Amino acid sequence: MRLTRIVRSLQIGWTAARVWGMYKIPYWLKKLRGRELSESELSAIHERAAQKTLDLALGLRGVMIKMCQAVATRADIFPPEIIDKLKQCHDAVPPKGFEIVREIVESELGKSMDAVFSSFEPEAMASASLAQVHRARLVDGREVAVKVQYPDIETIIRTDLANMRRVCRVYEFFDPRPLPLLPLLVELTRHLGMELDFVREADCADRVRELFVDDPQVKIPVIHREWSTRRVLTMELVGGIKITEKRKIEAVGLVPAEVLQNLMYIYVRMILAAGFFQADPHPGNLFVSPKGQIVVLDFGLSKELPEGFGLGLFELMFSLMTFNESAMVRAFEELGFRSKTGDTTTFVAIARRMVNRSDTGAFEGELTEDMTDELFEAIREDPVAEVPSDFVLVARVFSLLSGIAHSLGSRANILQAMSGGGPAPGPES
Amino acid sequence: MSDALVYTPEQLLSSEAAAEPLIANGVRCHGGFDVDGQYRSPRTLCRAPAIEAWQAQLSQDGHPLLEVPSRAMPPQYPNAAQAKLLLRHGVREPLVRSLTIISIVEGFGAMIRDVQVPDLGEVLVEPFAGTALAHLQSGLFEAHARDESGYRDEGGHKQMWEAARDAALENPHIPGDVLMRLMGRRGQGGRPAPLFPEIGQPLERMLGFMANVLVVEVFAEETFRWGMDILSDPDVSAAAEIAGGMVSHIQADEKPHVEYLRTALSEVSARTIKTVEGGTLPGKQVIDSLMHRILEQTTRARPADQRDDLRENLAESMRTATNPSALQDDFDALETHWAPPARTGFEAAEDAA
Repeated sequence: MRLTRIVRSLQIGWTAARVWGMYKIPYWLKKLRGRELSESELSAIHERAAQKTLDLALGLRGVMIKMCQAVATRADIFPPEIIDKLKQCHDAVPPKGFEIVREIVESELGKSMDAVFSSFEPEAMASASLAQVHRARLVDGREVAVKVQYPDIETIIRTDLANMRRVCRVYEFFDPRPLPLLPLLVELTRHLGMELDFVREADCADRVRELFVDDPQVKIPVIHREWSTRRVLTMELVGGIKITEKRKIEAVGLVPAEVLQNLMYIYVRMILAAGFFQADPHPGNLFVSPKGQIVVLDFGLSKELPEGFGLGLFELMFSLMTFNESAMVRAFEELGFRSKTGDTTTFVAIARRMVNRSDTGAFEGELTEDMTDELFEAIREDPVAEVPSDFVLVARVFSLLSGIAHSLGSRANILQAMSGGGPAPGPES
Repeated sequence: MSDALVYTPEQLLSSEAAAEPLIANGVRCHGGFDVDGQYRSPRTLCRAPAIEAWQAQLSQDGHPLLEVPSRAMPPQYPNAAQAKLLLRHGVREPLVRSLTIISIVEGFGAMIRDVQVPDLGEVLVEPFAGTALAHLQSGLFEAHARDESGYRDEGGHKQMWEAARDAALENPHIPGDVLMRLMGRRGQGGRPAPLFPEIGQPLERMLGFMANVLVVEVFAEETFRWGMDILSDPDVSAAAEIAGGMVSHIQADEKPHVEYLRTALSEVSARTIKTVEGGTLPGKQVIDSLMHRILEQTTRARPADQRDDLRENLAESMRTATNPSALQDDFDALETHWAPPARTGFEAAEDAA
């Protein structure tokens, strides 16, 4: 294990040094000739650096994959060449063998597998960077999905994070205008801490289920607490059609636009109304039952928003819809955006760019991927603005939902979902 | 009264020049005051006479104007006397929450500009030039949207309700659960099934949306009465004149909305609708059935559900008072009972069906 740690440290350090050199050597050479790097030269360097980082991540897995995924969501900090490359960093990894899984499950549950499960599929249903999932049946006959954390993953992550912190400090020491990598690493550390604690994940799933307790159109799998620990999570096995499979959805007689409306209602209720949400709505975590019920899985990355954030976000979208500039500035500030010079016209300029990237040239309630990309690009280009990380996460969620909406031939209209999908509800009477 | 029946979008969006603008809580709002200090609603220079002319034409052709029965209007809860009682005991949250929700709902009115209007020439048998129907997408929906949500830096009803709230209650803290309350519980069955699949979804969706907005607009009269009663009472309002006045301006602005919506729906009711398979259906049957269903929903199950949710919420808020149980008793004593009318007034089509 100690040797593995040393090897991982060396690989990370060596790649970091090479990436740094990729930028600095051409920069110094150009400077000696009294010139600057052209945009196309810089773009080529970004691509090479991203490729090198991606290769390292795919080789080391674990936290490096997570780091690449985190970077790929921060278009407000990194250039598009890096974002596009690192977006390819999927966290599907070969699963561990059954004997290792058995060992973890038995040691975590304190019982032999046979005492808990009448059957346990040796082949994993899915595997990702931190854990893998197996189909099983409890001794009482209930079908379950068992999520098992990889052995030593916490140690590997701690090592990788420590290495990356060192690399970031060295980079910040040498670079006169460093990218803000350390805050990103702090955020990643926090998120990984959440994802590694399955008891927390169970709590989050219960909290969201409670939010939809009277709503038959939402399904959150029940967690079997007695067979769950910090590293093993046993939950009700729930299936369905993958949310992006439009033809299969239509084949069971459902209307994709209504499925999407249902999904949007769920996320708008979680984010804007409850201020607590499952922050990873990628298509692998969302299914539709033949009756139109939306199944939400994986609460490892769930997030609590500060009080007033939902109302602030609503006011921002509302002001974008009416293009009310003063209201827009107020909303940006309430959400935590800060202009370093105090010049609030920056926010209006950013909003203009963002709205211009929509399909119609007007904000109609949907935060598309193009619009959020434009927002982050504007922020990155203009160094006067700072963006709150909660907003980045929420914008990412809504742009993922927009992607799902488009694959269903529909639109992820946030304001429409909030108003009930049709005409606005009447005042409380 | 003007005889003109055809207008451009610019005309329907045009306003009288105001001698003094309406400023609400520092925000420039629509409308304004004439030289005599009278409030003038926005975008009514041509819209108001246009609606009158379309209504006159309808009447001249022998067709009645659709009426939403005011007896079907559910009362506001808590009622004005109950709300004032709470304010006198320092329990402000319920009213702040209600006023904020009203402002947001007003803002959602902007979504009417996104309503898809099918090619009416394809779905109506009789001609419709020179009617409100012909102007829905060329000015009427847009004017309605701007009135409700504001337009660019000019505030609309959303900002006016916020201003009334902030003036009367001195910039209160907005409870964190406002959006949760707004979204409430959703129905168990999702969207209602189409009543007339034979006329095609786009037409039924548009007519259903308009009928729903009409009912909301008519029922809002009760909200205005309630709002003015509370906000213009100096005993509980820190700026009685300003806050009460703001609500009365909103009430005045809503009149054209009710009028153009009931005119357009009546125009459909007076015509014949083509079915997708080449047949026809009387417009009256479609409109009456839609109105019946909406009134059934808005006057029966929904008020009772909302009331149950609110009662829990109110009891929680009252716990902050000095003597919660005495306050709860006084509150309950001010209760006014209301039952929805047995009939909506639009049953004829359903009975015939």
